[in-house]
Amino acid sequence: MDFLFPMGESVMIKTCMKQNVISIPVTATIREAAALVVKHHIGLLPVIDPNGKPVGIVRLSDLLSLELPDFFDLLPDLDFVHDFGAVETSRPSAEELDRPITHLIQPGIFVEESCGLVRAFALMIKHHLYDLPVISNGGVLVGIASRVDIGAAILYNWQSVDTNSQ
Amino acid sequence: MIAQLLSALIFLVSLWLILSEKVNRTIIGLFGAVLMVTLGKLLHFYDEQQVVSVVDFNTLGLLLGMMILVALLEPTGFFQFLAVWAGRLSRGKPILLLVLLGTITTLVSMFLDNVTTVVLIAPVTILICEILGIQPTPYLIAEALLSNTGGTATLVGDPPNILIASAAGFTFVDFLTHSLPVVLFTWLAALWLLRHLFRHELAVQPPNAGVVLQLNPRETLDDPVTTRKVLIILGVAIVFFFFEDALKISPAFIALSAAAGALLWIRPDMQDILKRIEWSVLVFFASLFVIVGGLEASGVLGYIVSQLELLKSIPPVLFGLILLWFSAGLSAFVDNVPITIALIPVLQGLEAHGFNIQPLWWALAFGAGFGGNGTIIGSSANIVVASLSERTRSPITPRLWNRRGLPVMLLTCTVASILYLLLFPLFQR
Repeated sequence: MDFLFPMGESVMIKTCMKQNVISIPVTATIREAAALVVKHHIGLLPVIDPNGKPVGIVRLSDLLSLELPDFFDLLPDLDFVHDFGAVETSRPSAEELDRPITHLIQPGIFVEESCGLVRAFALMIKHHLYDLPVISNGGVLVGIASRVDIGAAILYNWQSVDTNSQ
Repeated sequence: MIAQLLSALIFLVSLWLILSEKVNRTIIGLFGAVLMVTLGKLLHFYDEQQVVSVVDFNTLGLLLGMMILVALLEPTGFFQFLAVWAGRLSRGKPILLLVLLGTITTLVSMFLDNVTTVVLIAPVTILICEILGIQPTPYLIAEALLSNTGGTATLVGDPPNILIASAAGFTFVDFLTHSLPVVLFTWLAALWLLRHLFRHELAVQPPNAGVVLQLNPRETLDDPVTTRKVLIILGVAIVFFFFEDALKISPAFIALSAAAGALLWIRPDMQDILKRIEWSVLVFFASLFVIVGGLEASGVLGYIVSQLELLKSIPPVLFGLILLWFSAGLSAFVDNVPITIALIPVLQGLEAHGFNIQPLWWALAFGAGFGGNGTIIGSSANIVVASLSERTRSPITPRLWNRRGLPVMLLTCTVASILYLLLFPLFQR
């Protein structure tokens, strides 16, 4: 990947984010969210209001929590369970899948286009996020950057560190 | 007169606040105890000297000793080991699973704390049910009901028994000869009724029952060395419980010795052990002793006992049965510990008026023990199971408990009443 910013300078997240953001309207159902994830193979869906402003996020893990068994949260260790048996073939009910996405929505972390790369990466680690939605000054969703997008851009900067200067 | 009225008021308001569960019961207990002592000092009927003498250190010592042993055993994975082992042994057959999990929970809670047992066995129960593709509700309810019932069998099985044993001077063996036979029948009756009440759920055969066979109990045992050490110490303590009378030692002394020995042998992280001990329970017990001691010192209990003297004309068997059902009825809605602590001095007062209270102690033990099955809030084990189930897709509702637990309570109390009637000469000794 080629980066379009000068090496060695403070870089903003907008330089490495993807501008084509797959998002979901707040009125959608859980079933529609799951279909979008499957179609685009993505791990996070920003949820937006009719004005294009983000109101929260739905992560792949939030969707999958519907499939995880109850004992997942109740037992500290699962290593001794070698076969999940009936859990592997159980599916969420139709009623559950047709509920509004608002049942799974999480308060998201959104950064502005001018956010620095290190700050963006640090926020992702702290909030256990793998993708970070980016908003414009007006609060409209304009992009999304993954850990790899941001991490690779940071590492790209390392190339400006001159070995001989040490 | 004013001392009696005000001390009764402190007791009743404290009890009401404890039961309403709006404020933590230990905070209310401690505050009520302080108020009672303040009143006693102002009106000169109760002082610090008396306070020290009314706190039953035999009960507190026994509880503390057993709590330390449980705290050592808790992180080893022993409880999970037992539940997984029961699951494997059942080979996924629902009725067998119910019987085995119920039996394991009962046997463990006969010697160790009910709540810890249920807290650690219930999650594994949910796991076993989920991989089998069956509803965990019948198994969870059965575990709580059967452990409450089984806990009544031994001196250390249930806090009311510890209190009664300390007040009446009953030994570990007394419980095995008087309470265990009754509990055996009531427990079997409870199991029979549970099987009937859950017949539809238990009729569903898991499609892939063999999946439980891949569970390896050994893998759940995080610390086999500590487990072995605690079980050896616990075994030795139980042997000593048998000989407490012959050796003239108290159960508290045995439990604390066992705890000290286990700590020395295992040498765990003491901070971790101290965190696992339920100090709130110990403070709550001590506070209730102080509050009820104040009632006694002000003469309220004496007044109640003098009124009860009218009951002398009632045949002793009938009196026992009334007490059994009275304490059971209360225990269904109220924590059985405050009830037992409040009723103990009343019984002692009756003895001073010439009643033979020996059979009444047993009636109280059965009522307090079996009554807790009646409602979802009747015992700590019920509350624990219900709150665990709230974190699952099939929560246990108070309505469901009334349909399953209440019949079990009524049956166990009926069976206990019949046996009490038949074995009355035994209970007089």
